[in-house]
Amino acid sequence: MENLFKLDKLEKTYPNGVRALKGVSFDVNKGEFLVIIGLSGSGKSTMLRCLNRIHEPTGGDLQFKGKSVVSLKGRELRQYRSKIGMIFQHFNLVPRKSVLENVLTGTLSRTSIFKSVFNMYSDADRQKALELIEVVGLKGKEMHRADNLSGGQQQRVSIARALMQDPEVLLADEPVASLDPATSHSVMEYLRKIQQQYGITVICNLHFLSLVREYGTRVVALKGGEKMFEGSPSEIDEDWFKRIYGEQAVEVTIN
Amino acid sequence: MKKKSTAFKTLLIDFLLASYLVLCIDSFIFTRHTMENGIDWASFGVVLLIGLILGLILNRVSKLSIGKMFLKEYDTSKARGIGQKPYAILGLVILAVTFYVGVLVTELSFYEFFSQAGIQGATRIFTALLNPNFEVLDQGILAVIETIYMAFIATAFSLPFAFLLSFFAARNLMNGSGFGLTVYYVIRFFLNVSRSIEPLVWAIIFSVWVGIGPFAGMLALMIHSVSSLAKLYSEQIENISEGPLEAMTATGAHPIQVIWYGVVPQVILPFLSFTIYRWDINVRMATVIGLVGGGGIGTLLMQFQGLARWNEVGLLIIIIAAVVWLMDFLSSKIRESIK
Ligand SMILES: Nc1ncnc2c1ncn2[C@@H]1O[C@H](COP(=O)(O)OP(=O)(O)O)[C@@H](O)[C@H]1O
Ligand SMILES: [Mg+2]
Repeated sequence: MENLFKLDKLEKTYPNGVRALKGVSFDVNKGEFLVIIGLSGSGKSTMLRCLNRIHEPTGGDLQFKGKSVVSLKGRELRQYRSKIGMIFQHFNLVPRKSVLENVLTGTLSRTSIFKSVFNMYSDADRQKALELIEVVGLKGKEMHRADNLSGGQQQRVSIARALMQDPEVLLADEPVASLDPATSHSVMEYLRKIQQQYGITVICNLHFLSLVREYGTRVVALKGGEKMFEGSPSEIDEDWFKRIYGEQAVEVTIN
Repeated sequence: MKKKSTAFKTLLIDFLLASYLVLCIDSFIFTRHTMENGIDWASFGVVLLIGLILGLILNRVSKLSIGKMFLKEYDTSKARGIGQKPYAILGLVILAVTFYVGVLVTELSFYEFFSQAGIQGATRIFTALLNPNFEVLDQGILAVIETIYMAFIATAFSLPFAFLLSFFAARNLMNGSGFGLTVYYVIRFFLNVSRSIEPLVWAIIFSVWVGIGPFAGMLALMIHSVSSLAKLYSEQIENISEGPLEAMTATGAHPIQVIWYGVVPQVILPFLSFTIYRWDINVRMATVIGLVGGGGIGTLLMQFQGLARWNEVGLLIIIIAAVVWLMDFLSSKIRESIK
């Protein structure tokens, strides 16, 4: 198994003193669908954002394909980020812009500042954006304003935007937490397709254990900024569930 | 530690208020100081001393400390009626004294307001104003056009400066590093200073610098517009949702691209709206600035007023009112349509 990320006692203390990650270590393998679970506030979002360095780790080491990436700066850092796509709970699309323009922002790291300011994307990039919009099932909506679409459609735009980066990894921070159950499954199916057909590694924060069991190939559980479980989804039984989510928790399913 | 500093703050407030009270009573009610007397610093010291003693007493005596009231040291939830809030009575006394001193200082003279000569003067000026002289209509229209363009150019020239500055004056974009924060504070400081100087004062400064005329007026408006717009713009930037910013950063975009796609689309319409509103304000301000020689209809108004040609002044006032109303109407319509 090829190693993609190696987290070594990764720490994150926010400027306000909150210690969100207290020395987390695990490996991410190429091609897997890794799911991160844990209560809210356990550090899942912080962990994902440390992986692409939109938050700075404050201790420990992070390696990507065998090379430490914690001290990358400027252009090198941006090149590194461009290999990692990211999707968010609230989609984070650029408001007032069309679906096509939003998808094209996935090329910013390889488009010059001047060209991107004046919307001068290359023909190849435009062609590719149109194809990806079709892949996520939004053909015909290219010129619609992205912020007027439904939640599920917006999340598909953001998936297309991430694919536009030609990423090796896709980070997904609770991608279905603001969607209804049916839409949730459709978005999760797209993520699985990306993992299986395009061979892109997916690291996904999730809330619902039923989704974890259905889509995840491996699970890491965080609690209070520490890793407390690592294994396959089927290993999470009643007992582990209570240890991860607390004695009071009851499992709910999403169909 | 915190307790101590609160106690000190309440005492400071009580001391300042007591000194103010003593000063008012001493200089305006007893001795009737006027400008010519100058300030007697020795007796000012005495006033402060009495203020300190009085302040200490008020601070100690139960429920008479306004300082403690301000810093929420009193439990006011149970107090009903003014009888249980002695500090409120003290507050009213200070307000009454301030009102009285205010009347003395502004020399309100109801006698002159209603005197024979006063009424006659008022009648004369109102009759003239209500009989505007339309012979100066051409002159007035040309002057008001000058004013409108002066305001437009001031707004247009200030726009790029304000636009650039606003990003450096937005805390959420600058708090990434110590250097960024320093730049933020320096820019904020200069914006606050230049904004607190009235355009009228800038106009006086520039009329000495570049000579009296529309250019001086335009520069004065521009300085003020840059600082006002930059402040409004930057507040708008501080209120954006961080999501798109984060998403753009995650794609590996350059910071300029992050701002262009993550910030600008979120603020562009409010910016436009503020700018149009600013033009509207600038037309009004340009009129006032004209009064001190900034050109346009204000200057014309000043000339006719100097010659006591009230019929002509009357016409100019009508023109100004019409233009101000029209600008106000147009700018609110435009702003509504781009919401
Ligand atoms: N930008 C931030 N500044 C300070 N504290 C933060 C910030 N983001 C998250 N935290 C804190 O870090 C901890 C972990 O948060 P987060 O990573 O969002 O957890 P999760 O995604 O698992 O809900 C929480 O205690 C949260 O309050
Ligand atoms: Mg989270």
